[in-house]
Amino acid sequence: MARPLPLPSPLTAPYWDACRRGELALQRCGGCRGFVHFPEAECPFCGDSNLAYEVVQGKGAVHTFTVVHRAFVPGLAPPYTVAWIDLDAGARVFGGVLGETRIGGRVDVTFRDVEGFGPMPYWRPDE
Amino acid sequence: MQALSGRAAVTGVGMTALTRASGRTELDLATEACRAALADAGVAAPDAVLSYHLGDSVPATQVARALRLERLGWHNDITGGGTQAASILGDAAMLIAAGVARTVLVYRALNGRSGTRMNRASTGPQERFTIPYGMAGPIPLFALAAQRYLHDTGLTEDHLHAVVAASRDRAAANPRALRRAPLPREEYRAAPYVSTPLRNVDCCQETDGACALVVQDARLAPAAPRIHTVVRGGGPGCSAMDRAADVTAIFSAHLDLWGESGLGPEDVDVALLYDAYTWLVPRQLSDFGLVKREDLGDSLLNRSHVPVNPHGGLLSEGYVHGLNNTAEAVRQLRGDGVNQVPGARVALVTGFGGSYGSAALLVRP
Repeated sequence: MARPLPLPSPLTAPYWDACRRGELALQRCGGCRGFVHFPEAECPFCGDSNLAYEVVQGKGAVHTFTVVHRAFVPGLAPPYTVAWIDLDAGARVFGGVLGETRIGGRVDVTFRDVEGFGPMPYWRPDE
Repeated sequence: MQALSGRAAVTGVGMTALTRASGRTELDLATEACRAALADAGVAAPDAVLSYHLGDSVPATQVARALRLERLGWHNDITGGGTQAASILGDAAMLIAAGVARTVLVYRALNGRSGTRMNRASTGPQERFTIPYGMAGPIPLFALAAQRYLHDTGLTEDHLHAVVAASRDRAAANPRALRRAPLPREEYRAAPYVSTPLRNVDCCQETDGACALVVQDARLAPAAPRIHTVVRGGGPGCSAMDRAADVTAIFSAHLDLWGESGLGPEDVDVALLYDAYTWLVPRQLSDFGLVKREDLGDSLLNRSHVPVNPHGGLLSEGYVHGLNNTAEAVRQLRGDGVNQVPGARVALVTGFGGSYGSAALLVRP
Protein backbone atom coordinates (compact mmCIF):
# COMPACT_ATOMS: atom_id res chain seq x y z
CA MET A 1 0.00 0.00 0.00
CA ALA A 2 1.06 3.54 -0.73
CA ARG A 3 2.20 5.94 1.93
CA PRO A 4 -0.65 8.20 3.15
CA LEU A 5 -0.17 11.77 2.00
CA PRO A 6 -1.32 15.03 3.55
CA LEU A 7 -4.76 16.15 2.37
CA PRO A 8 -4.62 19.96 2.46
CA SER A 9 -7.86 21.64 3.50
CA PRO A 10 -8.70 25.36 3.27
CA LEU A 11 -7.37 25.58 6.86
CA THR A 12 -4.07 23.76 6.26
CA ALA A 13 -3.35 24.61 2.62
CA PRO A 14 -1.21 27.68 3.47
CA TYR A 15 1.09 25.42 5.55
CA TRP A 16 1.67 23.02 2.66
CA ASP A 17 1.84 25.82 0.06
CA ALA A 18 4.66 27.41 2.07
CA CYS A 19 6.53 24.09 2.01
CA ARG A 20 6.47 24.25 -1.79
CA ARG A 21 8.25 27.59 -1.51
CA GLY A 22 10.78 26.07 0.88
CA GLU A 23 9.37 27.95 3.84
CA LEU A 24 7.88 26.97 7.17
CA ALA A 25 4.74 28.99 7.86
CA LEU A 26 2.65 28.71 11.02
CA GLN A 27 -0.56 30.32 12.16
CA ARG A 28 -0.02 33.17 14.57
CA CYS A 29 -2.82 34.61 16.63
CA GLY A 30 -3.54 38.30 16.00
CA GLY A 31 -4.94 38.55 19.52
CA CYS A 32 -2.45 36.93 21.88
CA ARG A 33 0.42 36.57 19.35
CA GLY A 34 0.82 32.87 20.19
CA PHE A 35 1.80 30.42 17.47
CA VAL A 36 -0.82 27.78 16.71
CA HIS A 37 0.18 24.41 15.26
CA PHE A 38 -1.57 22.22 14.23
CA PRO A 39 -3.77 24.73 12.39
CA GLU A 40 -7.04 25.69 14.06
CA ALA A 41 -10.06 27.83 13.16
CA GLU A 42 -9.86 29.60 16.54
CA CYS A 43 -6.89 30.32 18.76
CA PRO A 44 -6.79 27.59 21.45
CA PHE A 45 -5.27 30.08 23.89
CA CYS A 46 -7.51 33.14 23.55
CA GLY A 47 -10.29 32.25 21.11
CA ASP A 48 -9.38 34.87 18.51
CA SER A 49 -10.17 33.81 14.94
CA ASN A 50 -7.59 36.12 13.34
CA LEU A 51 -4.97 33.46 12.62
CA ALA A 52 -2.77 34.53 9.73
CA TYR A 53 0.15 32.38 8.60
CA GLU A 54 3.60 33.77 9.29
CA VAL A 55 6.92 32.46 7.98
CA VAL A 56 9.23 31.28 10.79
CA GLN A 57 12.79 30.04 11.02
CA GLY A 58 13.04 26.27 11.28
CA LYS A 59 15.81 26.08 13.90
CA GLY A 60 15.03 24.59 17.27
CA ALA A 61 15.58 21.82 19.78
CA VAL A 62 13.95 18.41 20.05
CA HIS A 63 11.35 18.39 22.84
CA THR A 64 10.69 14.68 22.52
CA PHE A 65 11.01 12.03 19.84
CA THR A 66 10.43 8.38 19.13
CA VAL A 67 12.07 6.00 16.70
CA VAL A 68 9.28 4.00 15.12
CA HIS A 69 10.34 0.40 14.63
CA ARG A 70 6.92 -1.02 13.91
CA ALA A 71 4.82 1.13 11.62
CA PHE A 72 1.06 1.21 11.87
CA VAL A 73 0.99 3.17 8.63
CA PRO A 74 1.67 1.59 5.21
CA GLY A 75 4.32 2.67 2.74
CA LEU A 76 7.05 3.81 5.15
CA ALA A 77 10.09 1.69 5.97
CA PRO A 78 11.01 1.64 9.68
CA PRO A 79 13.02 2.62 11.56
CA TYR A 80 12.25 6.30 11.22
CA THR A 81 11.97 9.13 13.73
CA VAL A 82 9.16 11.53 14.53
CA ALA A 83 9.46 14.38 17.01
CA TRP A 84 8.02 17.47 18.59
CA ILE A 85 10.41 20.37 18.16
CA ASP A 86 10.56 23.59 20.15
CA LEU A 87 11.38 26.21 17.55
CA ASP A 88 13.55 29.12 18.63
CA ALA A 89 10.73 31.28 17.25
CA GLY A 90 8.51 30.10 20.12
CA ALA A 91 6.32 27.41 18.53
CA ARG A 92 6.22 23.65 19.06
CA VAL A 93 5.93 21.77 15.78
CA PHE A 94 5.65 18.14 14.72
CA GLY A 95 7.62 16.42 12.00
CA GLY A 96 10.07 13.76 10.98
CA VAL A 97 13.74 13.84 11.95
CA LEU A 98 16.43 12.63 9.57
CA GLY A 99 19.31 10.98 11.42
CA GLU A 100 19.99 10.30 15.07
CA THR A 101 18.70 12.72 17.64
CA ARG A 102 18.17 13.22 21.36
CA ILE A 103 16.02 15.39 23.61
CA GLY A 104 17.51 18.87 23.50
CA GLY A 105 19.34 18.12 20.26
CA ARG A 106 19.59 21.07 17.90
CA VAL A 107 17.81 20.67 14.56
CA ASP A 108 16.98 22.75 11.49
CA VAL A 109 14.19 22.31 8.99
CA THR A 110 14.70 20.83 5.56
CA PHE A 111 12.15 19.95 2.92
CA ARG A 112 11.95 16.46 1.58
CA ASP A 113 10.13 15.72 -1.65
CA VAL A 114 7.53 13.04 -0.99
CA GLU A 115 6.41 11.21 -4.10
CA GLY A 116 2.88 12.05 -5.15
CA PHE A 117 2.67 15.08 -2.88
CA GLY A 118 5.64 17.40 -2.88
CA PRO A 119 7.81 18.88 -0.15
CA MET A 120 7.13 18.01 3.50
CA PRO A 121 9.09 19.56 6.37
CA TYR A 122 11.64 17.33 8.09
CA TRP A 123 14.32 18.29 10.57
CA ARG A 124 17.98 17.35 10.45
CA PRO A 125 20.61 17.55 13.19
CA ASP A 126 22.24 20.99 13.32
CA GLU A 127 25.03 20.84 15.90
CA MET B 1 -17.14 13.48 50.55
CA GLN B 2 -19.24 12.79 47.46
CA ALA B 3 -23.00 12.30 47.81
CA LEU B 4 -22.62 8.85 46.23
CA SER B 5 -20.00 7.77 48.76
CA GLY B 6 -20.82 4.47 50.41
CA ARG B 7 -24.24 4.23 48.77
CA ALA B 8 -23.33 1.46 46.30
CA ALA B 9 -21.42 -1.80 46.64
CA VAL B 10 -19.88 -4.16 44.11
CA THR B 11 -21.50 -7.51 44.78
CA GLY B 12 -20.46 -9.61 41.81
CA VAL B 13 -17.63 -10.03 39.32
CA GLY B 14 -17.55 -12.25 36.25
CA MET B 15 -15.11 -12.82 33.42
CA THR B 16 -14.68 -15.03 30.40
CA ALA B 17 -11.40 -16.70 29.66
CA LEU B 18 -8.93 -14.20 28.20
CA THR B 19 -7.55 -15.27 24.81
CA ARG B 20 -6.07 -13.92 21.60
CA ALA B 21 -8.62 -15.57 19.34
CA SER B 22 -11.94 -16.18 21.08
CA GLY B 23 -13.73 -17.44 17.98
CA ARG B 24 -16.88 -16.00 19.56
CA THR B 25 -19.02 -12.92 19.10
CA GLU B 26 -18.80 -10.00 21.50
CA LEU B 27 -22.42 -10.82 22.43
CA ASP B 28 -21.43 -14.34 23.47
CA LEU B 29 -18.52 -13.01 25.53
CA ALA B 30 -20.61 -10.29 27.18
CA THR B 31 -23.41 -12.69 28.03
CA GLU B 32 -21.08 -15.23 29.63
CA ALA B 33 -19.34 -12.59 31.77
CA CYS B 34 -22.66 -11.01 32.79
CA ARG B 35 -24.15 -14.37 33.79
CA ALA B 36 -21.07 -15.12 35.85
CA ALA B 37 -21.25 -11.74 37.62
CA LEU B 38 -24.97 -12.09 38.33
CA ALA B 39 -24.42 -15.60 39.71
CA ASP B 40 -21.53 -14.33 41.83
CA ALA B 41 -23.82 -11.63 43.23
CA GLY B 42 -26.72 -14.02 43.67
CA VAL B 43 -28.91 -11.72 41.59
CA ALA B 44 -31.51 -12.97 39.12
CA ALA B 45 -32.02 -9.78 37.14
CA PRO B 46 -30.51 -6.26 37.21
CA ASP B 47 -32.75 -3.27 36.69
CA ALA B 48 -30.10 -1.27 34.83
CA VAL B 49 -27.27 -2.12 32.41
CA LEU B 50 -24.23 0.00 31.54
CA SER B 51 -21.36 -0.74 29.18
CA TYR B 52 -18.54 1.12 27.49
CA HIS B 53 -17.16 0.59 24.03
CA LEU B 54 -15.22 2.04 21.12
CA GLY B 55 -17.58 0.79 18.44
CA ASP B 56 -16.13 -2.68 19.02
CA SER B 57 -18.69 -4.23 21.35
CA VAL B 58 -22.37 -5.11 21.63
CA PRO B 59 -25.11 -2.83 22.97
CA ALA B 60 -26.80 -3.29 26.33
CA THR B 61 -30.17 -3.98 24.73
CA GLN B 62 -28.78 -7.04 22.94
CA VAL B 63 -27.12 -8.31 26.09
CA ALA B 64 -30.36 -7.79 28.01
CA ARG B 65 -32.21 -9.83 25.40
CA ALA B 66 -29.63 -12.61 25.57
CA LEU B 67 -29.94 -12.62 29.37
CA ARG B 68 -33.74 -12.92 28.93
CA LEU B 69 -34.37 -9.80 30.99
CA GLU B 70 -38.06 -9.29 30.41
CA ARG B 71 -37.97 -5.63 31.30
CA LEU B 72 -35.00 -3.34 31.08
CA GLY B 73 -34.74 -0.08 32.99
CA TRP B 74 -31.98 2.47 32.64
CA HIS B 75 -29.35 1.34 30.11
CA ASN B 76 -26.53 3.09 28.36
CA ASP B 77 -23.62 2.31 26.08
CA ILE B 78 -20.98 4.84 26.96
CA THR B 79 -18.50 5.71 24.24
CA GLY B 80 -15.02 5.37 25.63
CA GLY B 81 -12.14 3.07 26.34
CA GLY B 82 -9.73 3.05 29.23
CA THR B 83 -11.00 6.34 30.60
CA GLN B 84 -14.17 4.51 31.68
CA ALA B 85 -12.58 1.65 33.66
CA ALA B 86 -12.98 3.38 37.02
CA SER B 87 -15.65 5.99 36.30
CA ILE B 88 -18.23 3.46 35.14
CA LEU B 89 -18.44 2.57 38.82
CA GLY B 90 -19.36 6.21 39.40
CA ASP B 91 -22.06 6.08 36.73
CA ALA B 92 -23.51 2.98 38.40
CA ALA B 93 -23.24 4.49 41.90
CA MET B 94 -24.94 7.70 40.74
CA LEU B 95 -27.90 5.72 39.41
CA ILE B 96 -28.18 4.03 42.79
CA ALA B 97 -27.62 7.14 44.91
CA ALA B 98 -30.23 8.98 42.81
CA GLY B 99 -32.77 6.22 43.35
CA VAL B 100 -32.94 5.41 39.63
CA ALA B 101 -31.78 1.80 40.02
CA ARG B 102 -30.98 -0.66 42.78
CA THR B 103 -28.97 -3.25 40.83
CA VAL B 104 -26.75 -2.20 37.93
CA LEU B 105 -25.00 -4.64 35.63
CA VAL B 106 -21.79 -3.27 34.08
CA TYR B 107 -19.80 -4.93 31.31
CA ARG B 108 -17.04 -4.48 28.74
CA ALA B 109 -16.71 -7.03 25.93
CA LEU B 110 -14.30 -6.97 23.02
CA ASN B 111 -12.31 -9.07 20.61
CA GLY B 112 -9.37 -6.76 21.12
CA ARG B 113 -6.84 -9.06 19.48
CA SER B 114 -8.74 -11.01 16.82
CA GLY B 115 -11.19 -8.20 15.99
CA THR B 116 -10.84 -4.43 16.27
CA ARG B 117 -7.37 -3.74 17.68
CA MET B 118 -6.40 -0.78 19.81
CA ASN B 119 -3.00 -0.43 18.17
CA ARG B 120 -4.65 1.38 15.26
CA ALA B 121 -7.20 3.34 17.27
CA SER B 122 -7.44 6.99 16.23
CA THR B 123 -5.71 9.55 18.43
CA GLY B 124 -7.85 12.37 17.03
CA PRO B 125 -7.76 15.02 14.31
CA GLN B 126 -4.02 15.56 14.83
CA GLU B 127 -3.60 12.37 12.79
CA ARG B 128 -4.03 14.36 9.58
CA PHE B 129 -0.55 15.70 10.33
CA THR B 130 1.02 12.71 12.06
CA ILE B 131 -0.05 9.87 9.74
CA PRO B 132 1.84 11.27 6.71
CA TYR B 133 4.98 10.99 8.86
CA GLY B 134 4.16 7.38 9.72
CA MET B 135 2.71 7.95 13.18
CA ALA B 136 -0.66 6.41 14.00
CA GLY B 137 -2.37 4.86 16.99
CA PRO B 138 -1.65 5.14 20.69
CA ILE B 139 1.76 3.45 20.91
CA PRO B 140 3.95 6.12 19.25
CA LEU B 141 1.96 8.82 21.05
CA PHE B 142 2.65 7.26 24.44
CA ALA B 143 6.22 6.57 23.30
CA LEU B 144 6.79 10.29 22.67
CA ALA B 145 5.52 10.97 26.19
CA ALA B 146 7.57 8.10 27.64
CA GLN B 147 10.82 9.33 26.06
CA ARG B 148 10.37 12.71 27.66
CA TYR B 149 9.25 11.15 30.96
CA LEU B 150 12.44 9.09 31.23
CA HIS B 151 14.45 12.21 30.40
CA ASP B 152 12.67 14.32 33.02
CA THR B 153 12.73 11.75 35.84
CA GLY B 154 16.08 10.08 35.21
CA LEU B 155 14.37 6.70 35.08
CA THR B 156 15.84 4.20 32.61
CA GLU B 157 14.97 1.06 30.70
CA ASP B 158 15.96 -0.88 33.83
CA HIS B 159 13.05 0.73 35.66
CA LEU B 160 10.65 -0.06 32.83
CA HIS B 161 11.94 -3.61 32.98
CA ALA B 162 11.34 -3.68 36.73
CA VAL B 163 7.68 -2.79 36.16
CA VAL B 164 6.98 -5.54 33.64
CA ALA B 165 9.15 -8.11 35.43
CA ALA B 166 7.16 -7.56 38.63
CA SER B 167 3.93 -7.84 36.66
CA ARG B 168 5.01 -11.16 35.11
CA ASP B 169 6.13 -12.54 38.48
CA ARG B 170 2.76 -11.79 40.02
CA ALA B 171 0.86 -13.14 37.02
CA ALA B 172 2.61 -16.48 37.52
CA ALA B 173 0.00 -17.17 40.22
CA ASN B 174 -2.92 -16.07 38.02
CA PRO B 175 -4.43 -18.83 35.87
CA ARG B 176 -6.35 -16.19 33.88
CA ALA B 177 -3.19 -14.35 32.80
CA LEU B 178 -2.05 -14.39 29.18
CA ARG B 179 1.63 -13.97 30.18
CA ARG B 180 2.93 -15.88 33.19
CA ALA B 181 6.60 -16.52 32.42
CA PRO B 182 9.34 -14.51 34.15
CA LEU B 183 11.00 -11.78 32.10
CA PRO B 184 14.73 -11.56 32.92
CA ARG B 185 16.53 -8.33 32.12
CA GLU B 186 18.47 -9.81 29.19
CA GLU B 187 15.24 -11.03 27.63
CA TYR B 188 13.66 -7.61 28.14
CA ARG B 189 16.61 -5.90 26.47
CA ALA B 190 16.46 -8.32 23.53
CA ALA B 191 12.74 -7.68 22.97
CA PRO B 192 11.97 -5.65 19.83
CA TYR B 193 11.09 -1.98 20.04
CA VAL B 194 7.69 -0.93 18.79
CA SER B 195 8.44 2.77 19.19
CA THR B 196 11.38 3.84 21.37
CA PRO B 197 11.63 3.67 24.33
CA LEU B 198 8.71 1.21 24.32
CA ARG B 199 9.43 -2.40 23.45
CA ASN B 200 6.64 -4.86 22.73
CA VAL B 201 6.94 -6.07 26.35
CA ASP B 202 6.30 -2.53 27.62
CA CYS B 203 2.82 -2.70 26.10
CA CYS B 204 -0.27 -4.44 27.48
CA GLN B 205 -1.79 -7.60 26.06
CA GLU B 206 -4.36 -7.07 23.35
CA THR B 207 -7.09 -9.44 24.44
CA ASP B 208 -10.36 -11.11 23.46
CA GLY B 209 -12.70 -11.39 26.41
CA ALA B 210 -15.33 -9.83 28.58
CA CYS B 211 -15.65 -8.70 32.16
CA ALA B 212 -18.77 -7.79 34.13
CA LEU B 213 -19.59 -6.35 37.55
CA VAL B 214 -22.78 -6.10 39.56
CA VAL B 215 -23.23 -2.87 41.52
CA GLN B 216 -26.03 -2.74 44.06
CA ASP B 217 -27.55 -0.50 46.65
CA ALA B 218 -25.22 -1.04 49.63
CA ARG B 219 -28.19 -1.72 51.91
CA LEU B 220 -28.76 -4.94 49.95
CA ALA B 221 -25.20 -6.12 50.61
CA PRO B 222 -23.77 -4.55 53.75
CA ALA B 223 -20.55 -6.61 53.68
CA ALA B 224 -19.60 -6.02 50.02
CA PRO B 225 -16.87 -3.57 48.92
CA ARG B 226 -18.31 -0.07 48.71
CA ILE B 227 -17.73 2.58 46.08
CA HIS B 228 -16.25 5.35 48.22
CA THR B 229 -15.19 8.00 45.70
CA VAL B 230 -15.02 8.28 41.92
CA VAL B 231 -13.32 11.10 40.02
CA ARG B 232 -13.09 11.70 36.30
CA GLY B 233 -11.43 14.47 34.37
CA GLY B 234 -8.37 15.62 32.51
CA GLY B 235 -6.40 18.53 31.19
CA PRO B 236 -3.27 19.50 29.31
CA GLY B 237 -0.79 16.72 28.65
CA CYS B 238 0.09 13.99 26.24
CA SER B 239 -3.21 14.30 24.38
CA ALA B 240 -2.19 17.75 23.08
CA MET B 241 1.58 17.94 22.82
CA ASP B 242 1.40 21.06 20.68
CA ARG B 243 0.39 23.16 23.66
CA ALA B 244 1.07 21.21 26.87
CA ALA B 245 3.77 22.55 29.17
CA ASP B 246 4.30 18.95 30.32
CA VAL B 247 3.78 16.50 27.44
CA THR B 248 4.20 13.61 29.89
CA ALA B 249 1.14 14.58 31.93
CA ILE B 250 -1.62 12.00 32.01
CA PHE B 251 -5.04 12.04 33.69
CA SER B 252 -3.60 11.48 37.15
CA ALA B 253 -1.94 14.90 37.10
CA HIS B 254 -5.40 16.48 36.94
CA LEU B 255 -7.58 14.58 39.41
CA ASP B 256 -8.20 15.63 43.00
CA LEU B 257 -8.89 12.16 44.37
CA TRP B 258 -7.74 12.90 47.91
CA GLY B 259 -9.55 16.22 48.17
CA GLU B 260 -12.77 14.59 46.97
CA SER B 261 -12.47 11.53 49.19
CA GLY B 262 -11.06 12.78 52.45
CA LEU B 263 -8.71 9.81 52.33
CA GLY B 264 -5.00 9.92 51.58
CA PRO B 265 -2.38 7.89 49.77
CA GLU B 266 -1.35 6.28 53.05
CA ASP B 267 -4.80 4.66 53.24
CA VAL B 268 -4.34 2.65 50.02
CA ASP B 269 -3.65 -1.05 50.61
CA VAL B 270 -3.61 -2.13 46.96
CA ALA B 271 -3.45 -0.13 43.73
CA LEU B 272 -4.98 -1.39 40.51
CA LEU B 273 -3.27 1.00 38.12
CA TYR B 274 -4.10 1.20 34.42
CA ASP B 275 -0.82 -0.22 33.12
CA ALA B 276 -1.34 -0.07 29.36
CA TYR B 277 2.41 0.79 29.17
CA THR B 278 5.11 0.24 31.76
CA TRP B 279 6.01 3.90 32.31
CA LEU B 280 2.46 4.69 33.38
CA VAL B 281 3.01 2.84 36.66
CA PRO B 282 5.65 5.20 38.08
CA ARG B 283 3.81 8.19 36.63
CA GLN B 284 0.63 7.24 38.53
CA LEU B 285 2.49 6.15 41.68
CA SER B 286 3.88 9.66 42.06
CA ASP B 287 0.81 11.54 40.79
CA PHE B 288 -1.36 9.83 43.40
CA GLY B 289 1.23 10.44 46.09
CA LEU B 290 1.91 6.73 46.63
CA VAL B 291 5.64 7.24 46.03
CA LYS B 292 7.65 10.47 46.08
CA ARG B 293 8.99 11.28 42.64
CA GLU B 294 12.59 11.16 43.83
CA ASP B 295 12.03 7.68 45.28
CA LEU B 296 10.46 6.16 42.16
CA GLY B 297 13.57 4.45 40.85
CA ASP B 298 14.47 2.65 44.07
CA SER B 299 10.89 1.72 44.86
CA LEU B 300 10.47 0.09 41.44
CA LEU B 301 13.76 -1.81 41.62
CA ASN B 302 13.13 -2.94 45.22
CA ARG B 303 9.38 -3.45 44.75
CA SER B 304 8.96 -1.50 47.97
CA HIS B 305 5.87 0.52 46.93
CA VAL B 306 2.26 -0.37 47.79
CA PRO B 307 1.22 -3.57 45.98
CA VAL B 308 0.33 -2.75 42.35
CA ASN B 309 -1.77 -5.07 40.18
CA PRO B 310 -1.20 -8.27 42.18
CA HIS B 311 -2.89 -10.28 39.40
CA GLY B 312 -0.48 -9.02 36.72
CA GLY B 313 -2.58 -6.13 35.41
CA LEU B 314 -3.06 -5.19 31.80
CA LEU B 315 0.59 -5.94 31.06
CA SER B 316 0.26 -9.64 31.91
CA GLU B 317 -3.29 -10.73 32.78
CA GLY B 318 -4.89 -9.11 29.77
CA TYR B 319 -6.62 -6.01 28.56
CA VAL B 320 -10.39 -5.93 28.93
CA HIS B 321 -10.00 -2.20 28.64
CA GLY B 322 -9.21 -1.95 32.32
CA LEU B 323 -12.39 -3.50 33.71
CA ASN B 324 -10.43 -6.64 34.61
CA ASN B 325 -8.31 -4.46 36.93
CA THR B 326 -11.51 -3.12 38.50
CA ALA B 327 -12.70 -6.71 39.02
CA GLU B 328 -9.42 -7.57 40.77
CA ALA B 329 -9.83 -4.56 43.08
CA VAL B 330 -13.13 -6.06 44.19
CA ARG B 331 -11.61 -9.52 44.70
CA GLN B 332 -8.76 -8.06 46.75
CA LEU B 333 -11.25 -6.39 49.10
CA ARG B 334 -13.27 -9.60 49.39
CA GLY B 335 -10.12 -11.57 50.19
CA ASP B 336 -10.20 -13.82 47.11
CA GLY B 337 -7.65 -11.99 44.98
CA VAL B 338 -4.55 -13.25 43.22
CA ASN B 339 -1.52 -12.87 45.51
CA GLN B 340 -4.06 -11.61 48.01
CA VAL B 341 -2.86 -8.54 49.90
CA PRO B 342 -3.49 -9.49 53.53
CA GLY B 343 -6.31 -7.52 55.10
CA ALA B 344 -6.72 -5.17 52.13
CA ARG B 345 -9.35 -2.61 53.03
CA VAL B 346 -8.87 0.25 50.56
CA ALA B 347 -8.26 -0.26 46.84
CA LEU B 348 -7.43 2.38 44.25
CA VAL B 349 -8.42 1.60 40.66
CA THR B 350 -7.68 3.81 37.66
CA GLY B 351 -8.38 4.01 33.96
CA PHE B 352 -7.43 6.46 31.28
CA GLY B 353 -6.67 7.44 27.72
CA GLY B 354 -4.18 10.23 27.09
CA SER B 355 -4.53 13.03 29.57
CA TYR B 356 -8.14 12.17 30.44
CA GLY B 357 -9.29 9.43 32.76
CA SER B 358 -10.81 8.32 36.01
CA ALA B 359 -9.98 6.89 39.41
CA ALA B 360 -12.06 5.19 42.08
CA LEU B 361 -11.56 4.24 45.69
CA LEU B 362 -13.26 1.06 46.85
CA VAL B 363 -13.47 0.34 50.57
CA ARG B 364 -14.32 -2.83 52.46
CA PRO B 365 -16.86 -1.92 55.17
